[in-house]
Amino acid sequence: MDTHAALYEQGLARIASLRKLAPRKSKTLQQVMEDHGITRRDFMKWSASISAMLALPLPFSTLVAEAAEVADRVPLLWIQLAECTGCSESLLRASTPDVSTLIFDYVSLEYQETLMAAAGWQAEENLENAMRDNHGKYLLAFEGAVPTANNGAFLTVGCKGHTGLEIAKKAAEGAAAIISVGTCAAFGGVQAAAPNPTGAQGIHTIVDRPVINLGGCPPSEVNIVGTLMYFIMFGKLPALDMFNRPKWAYGARVHDNCERRGHFDAGEFVEEFGDQAAKDGYCLYKVGCKGPYTYNNCPTERFNAHTSWPVLAGHGCIGCSEPDFWDTMRDFEKPLGQQILHGLDADADTVGAVILGVTAVGIGAHAIGSIFAGKHEDK
Amino acid sequence: MTKETMLYTRDLIFSAIIRVCHWLRALSIVALVITGFYIAWPFLVAPQSSDVLVQGWIRMAHEIFGFILVAVTLARAYLFFFSKNNIERRSIKDVISPKAWFTQLKAYLWMGKAPHSGAYGPLQFVTYMGISVAAFFMCVTGLVLYANVYHLGLGGLLWEPSAWITQMMGGLAVVRLWHHYITWVFIIFVLIHVYMAVWMGIRFKHNSVDSIVSGYDYHPHHDEHEGK
Repeated sequence: MDTHAALYEQGLARIASLRKLAPRKSKTLQQVMEDHGITRRDFMKWSASISAMLALPLPFSTLVAEAAEVADRVPLLWIQLAECTGCSESLLRASTPDVSTLIFDYVSLEYQETLMAAAGWQAEENLENAMRDNHGKYLLAFEGAVPTANNGAFLTVGCKGHTGLEIAKKAAEGAAAIISVGTCAAFGGVQAAAPNPTGAQGIHTIVDRPVINLGGCPPSEVNIVGTLMYFIMFGKLPALDMFNRPKWAYGARVHDNCERRGHFDAGEFVEEFGDQAAKDGYCLYKVGCKGPYTYNNCPTERFNAHTSWPVLAGHGCIGCSEPDFWDTMRDFEKPLGQQILHGLDADADTVGAVILGVTAVGIGAHAIGSIFAGKHEDK
Repeated sequence: MTKETMLYTRDLIFSAIIRVCHWLRALSIVALVITGFYIAWPFLVAPQSSDVLVQGWIRMAHEIFGFILVAVTLARAYLFFFSKNNIERRSIKDVISPKAWFTQLKAYLWMGKAPHSGAYGPLQFVTYMGISVAAFFMCVTGLVLYANVYHLGLGGLLWEPSAWITQMMGGLAVVRLWHHYITWVFIIFVLIHVYMAVWMGIRFKHNSVDSIVSGYDYHPHHDEHEGK
């Protein structure tokens, strides 16, 4: 049996086992979609595009559709730590909610602070119940970094005053799989930018098990839902890259699939924002595009229901899905070679040129010294 | 005008392969620095036709010279350790001798003569070792960047180790930044290196600018019964 056929069988078995579980929603996915005016045709198109995005062949689209139907059998806990809710917003605030947004709603979301009605003691109770009742079965998503300095005291959540560190460790114990949604949960994000006084870190550093990192500030909704779908379909982690990001989403650099790449190779660059080259849609490398150092599928998937993405809108990539992007990718509107070095207020080339100049002066002094030093005679 | 008649012996210092390596390395460093700075900040005006891949051609040149540097760095490391002639390895004796360091530094300050057990002085040896390590670093980071540009063939073969190095260094941006920083080590080295080579030739009449071309150095001849 070839790999795809084996994977398909695995998916069928996984969905059959999920079907046996009781649905947690009163309405079926079909009813929910009918309520939102989404046709069967739209749904099948979505299933096909998700399978294509996951780099699976077309027959898998029926598997995606089936997995979507049983998505309400998979409990999902969504824990928010040191974050801005931008990742949740990326999923929820689509102006035209598509199937991806609906699926997020349809998944058995046991705990999500932005969406839930409960507050205070009730909310805390919901979280504890969800973790206990679904122990070992739930999919756990994190949004936001974990402050670890002073034993995590920089972040306390809820009426019981638990630190983010405690909550994250406890929740991770009973999870079937862990997804870090967004750069903060994955790599610390802006909270972890130098000098990082709160010791903010990505989730993977505090739990001793594999974590899927979905870099991006925010990651696109399809990357989040695609990862959910993969887990629902196969019950395991997808193939991951060097930073544990799914290869189907983060396998290529932004630069590799950029629509302006031809202008890069031809040496056609925007010199400053608003110039003729910018109007002609030339490459944004010289105004600081970090696409060459950033692995993500933004050029192909785009954002807001595939409408646009930063480079299409005329600004370079800032590398938001990479570890420590806040420090390594600055300055956002200058190429990396002109990065201003901390404490020196100059870029590497200026520093290099100054050292070169000092060296030249030293050599000159030595050469003049040699004139007065007299001759050396070989004996 | 005075004229002295002295007998000199002609000693082979650098074998042909070492000289070829040196000049290939010199050529590739110059070419890599120029094309590298261009890639960091593309300063040429775009041609009228976008069929002329300015950036593409310059990147190609950078990669070709990069592969020359990789080859020379490997060949040179092999020669240093396994060459039959131990003239390079003999200099390690001076490197571990504080006295040799002292004599060497005095020689640079116009006092006395430089110690030479082998081909190099101690400071010179350590500097060249540092430059070789820097070259190795540039080759590795360069190949990591290469694997991200060409995904098939050699690039594909290098992909897994490149991903590992990228992860170790904390991202491709960090790899690229250090690739840029270490460029300056070579620029500053070249200036000092050329000056020192010429200065040694003028002061001590051991012109290494000459010997890296011809391979030979000249020493005053002493009769055997005079001691040395």
